[in-house]
Amino acid sequence: MPDVFKDYVKKKFSKPGPLKGVRVLEVCTLLFGPSGPSFLAEMGAEVIKIELPPAGDVTRSLNPFGWFYKEQSPMFMHINPNKYYMALDLHIDMGQQIFKELAAKADIVEFNLRPGVTRRWNIGYEHIKEVNPGIIYIEKNGFGQWGTYAEQDRPSNDGASQALAGYAWMSSFPKRPPLKQSIWICDYYGGLMGEVAVLAALHHRRKTGKGQFIEMSQTENIMRVMNWVWPYQQLTGKGVEPTGNRDQCICPADTFLCADNLLAALAAPGPDEFLGLCQAMGKAELAVDPRFQDHTVRLQDENALAILKIIADWARTKTADEIEALGKEFSFAATRLHNAKDMNEDPQRRERGFVKEIDDPLYGQYVEHEFPVMMSKTPPKIKWTVRPVGFDNEFIMAKILGRNQTQIDELYLHGVLGKWKDMQGRRPPSDWDGQAGYIIRR
Amino acid sequence: MTEQKRPKWADWADHIRSLDDPAKNYEKPEALGDLTIIDLSSRSMAGPYCSSLLAELGAETIRIEAPGGDLVRSYSPNGFMHRGTGMAYIQEGRNKYHITLNLETEEGRDILKSLVGQADILIETFPAGKMDAWGIGYEELAKINPRLIYTSITGYGQFGPESGRNQYDYDNVAQARSGVQYATGEVLPEGKTLEDMPYATSTKAGPWIAWAVSGTFAAVGILAAVYYREMTGEGQALDVSTPEAYERLNDYMLHWYADQGVVNERFGNLDTCLWLYGFYPTKDGGVFLGGLRLEMWKAFVDIVGKYDEWGAEQWTTLAPFMKKDWQLKYQAMINPETLRYTSQELTMKSIEYAKKGRLAPITPVVAEIVPPWSAMHDEVWRDRGVFTPVQDPVYGSIVCAQAQWKSTETPPRTKWACRPVGYDNGFVYLKYMGYGPVKLWEMTEKGII
Repeated sequence: MPDVFKDYVKKKFSKPGPLKGVRVLEVCTLLFGPSGPSFLAEMGAEVIKIELPPAGDVTRSLNPFGWFYKEQSPMFMHINPNKYYMALDLHIDMGQQIFKELAAKADIVEFNLRPGVTRRWNIGYEHIKEVNPGIIYIEKNGFGQWGTYAEQDRPSNDGASQALAGYAWMSSFPKRPPLKQSIWICDYYGGLMGEVAVLAALHHRRKTGKGQFIEMSQTENIMRVMNWVWPYQQLTGKGVEPTGNRDQCICPADTFLCADNLLAALAAPGPDEFLGLCQAMGKAELAVDPRFQDHTVRLQDENALAILKIIADWARTKTADEIEALGKEFSFAATRLHNAKDMNEDPQRRERGFVKEIDDPLYGQYVEHEFPVMMSKTPPKIKWTVRPVGFDNEFIMAKILGRNQTQIDELYLHGVLGKWKDMQGRRPPSDWDGQAGYIIRR
Repeated sequence: MTEQKRPKWADWADHIRSLDDPAKNYEKPEALGDLTIIDLSSRSMAGPYCSSLLAELGAETIRIEAPGGDLVRSYSPNGFMHRGTGMAYIQEGRNKYHITLNLETEEGRDILKSLVGQADILIETFPAGKMDAWGIGYEELAKINPRLIYTSITGYGQFGPESGRNQYDYDNVAQARSGVQYATGEVLPEGKTLEDMPYATSTKAGPWIAWAVSGTFAAVGILAAVYYREMTGEGQALDVSTPEAYERLNDYMLHWYADQGVVNERFGNLDTCLWLYGFYPTKDGGVFLGGLRLEMWKAFVDIVGKYDEWGAEQWTTLAPFMKKDWQLKYQAMINPETLRYTSQELTMKSIEYAKKGRLAPITPVVAEIVPPWSAMHDEVWRDRGVFTPVQDPVYGSIVCAQAQWKSTETPPRTKWACRPVGYDNGFVYLKYMGYGPVKLWEMTEKGII
């Protein structure tokens, strides 16, 4: 281990996050929108999540097969850590004014609304630019701000992107119907790529003082990932078809059924890796077989299928753990397939602090994933989870806009600011003492 | 494409397009034009993908390969090569300068150190420990350049009990280790075995999504580190493990098991958390149907003419529909309804419903499940600049997925697709090392480049 990561987990809280001092406003719901600002919050930015009172983000209702954690959506918790929660009615003029005051003091604002909505609310890019020329303003949605699909006012979401990009088509086994991913990949990945755009814009602003407007379509974004697909189709004139667990660009690289009926994945394309695998199988001669010796030749379909068949027959005689151990011994990549139990119990994830316990004033102790970039000088960190709708109104209004309680009460009276509806996922957990988690207590 | 009536907000669309159309990218500055990147990636596409994202934003990116080239150049379906390069690298060599350098030699490592002295960011994907063993790990290089942002992308990270493994990072292995593959795939019906239905098993995604995710997280980390460095002058080391990066996009599985002991299992083309949300068959293929609000689900039921029969008027909450038994029950009821239409018919019904339906403007999401071939030939994406071919002097006209986001000021752009091994030795070694033809010939003879 390099010294630079010695005691990384232990000393995390002796160092700042990299984005200390960056302020972000988010007006986002579901997953595509909020995931990006969360990544910034995990890296130390101050992120204010603005919801429409009193129901807020619809994700607060979502749950796997009826399971809620302390009456909160586990999805919502996972996707929205480290934020401050404000409920502001952007449909009304006074709400829009407050938003502009906040935006004047922010670096980044993020939205996932249909095209044109921000302008209708008088908080479009042109409006915010007037009060803050350096603002970095991003709008994320299904089809972007212009173009035929956008102008059809089509709604979209993750599953639609998986379908429209060709992503699902190439993710099943051959001759089977297209397969949807179990995770909301186009949402989360779109959120992540959006921050590449935002952080690059931040760098540009530092040099020039200029802000910018950014738009992202989640379908276009996921197509960027499918890199080899496009020139292959262009240059061969053939469409890409699915190949199940077999990686069609790398050989061997596949998932195999093992003696214990568990699955193991392995990959061994490099000459040393392939030789290691052949030796592990007790068939070193395969490494010099003309069908398999060179990676490009080995990739040709009939050769690839032949070597994968040999490996599959061998894998059926070993347990998944044995294959993983042989991978370590012979230096080819191999792992037993991990599931939710492994995620929780694996010492590697725990010792790296990637899986860790959160100690939250409202939701207590629970297990969470850390931000997956370990940064030696500026460790990102998740500290707290979600809050009820409008929970931090008083704090934000006092800290950033200097409003006193009388002024804040006035805004409640006019419905500009709001608090949670008495509804699951919106209100505090039932064991809440009326105080815990409040930054400004009354 | 049939003519359509433009929406009320068409002036907004025109206004934004006038500001951010990718066709005008070259009139605009580049966000990262002041940064120099050294990309030492080996065997993993996560590294080249990461450096592509930064090179698309103008970073001067020097891709260093061992003489003979990196294995990634051979990654291609059926072993198909175009002018000596596989399909994967012909996409992710974009905008980079390609040089060779033999890090197994001391002189090669000295040259690397000189380049590092002039660089901002280094990306590497060797098994952990390899760079240190060569004497060019973070500690050594930080002595030469304390502002360096040194980024490692690996299978098992730079620390932790598994980090000592001498294994390279591969996408399919990372997908398997992330927990995502476990929960994705067709459900094996009761009484059947994998021998009967080998496809009803845990299934990875077709694209290299684990690599893309770790490469993108690395890019985000790098840009955040650049921000910090601009304020403090300090560089640092970044450690990304590909399975962890991909696992971070997995939502509730970890917590569900910790709290309830539930291992999230495959649920086919439905979704454990969401309703209406799944793939359904049509006359000519299939569609995705989505509507996470009750009204959207009701609107769908209305579109297929079952609003009264199924009693949609009485539904007051989506909650029961998310339960497993209801999902399966309604899936079986929906299947015959969607099979009465083509995918296009259902899509247009949803768009029309938004204008005239009883719950308008609310309408369900309907999206045709298309093959990548159709996606690439879709006029709408082409109009938005996603598949604009790059005119590459070496490889010819190459379709490169690009314009994944658009912006008014510093949009990403693709200038060239790839370069052969060592193509830029002349330019880069002259620019950064002052080496002319005589010195280059000498180094070639010695096997250093």
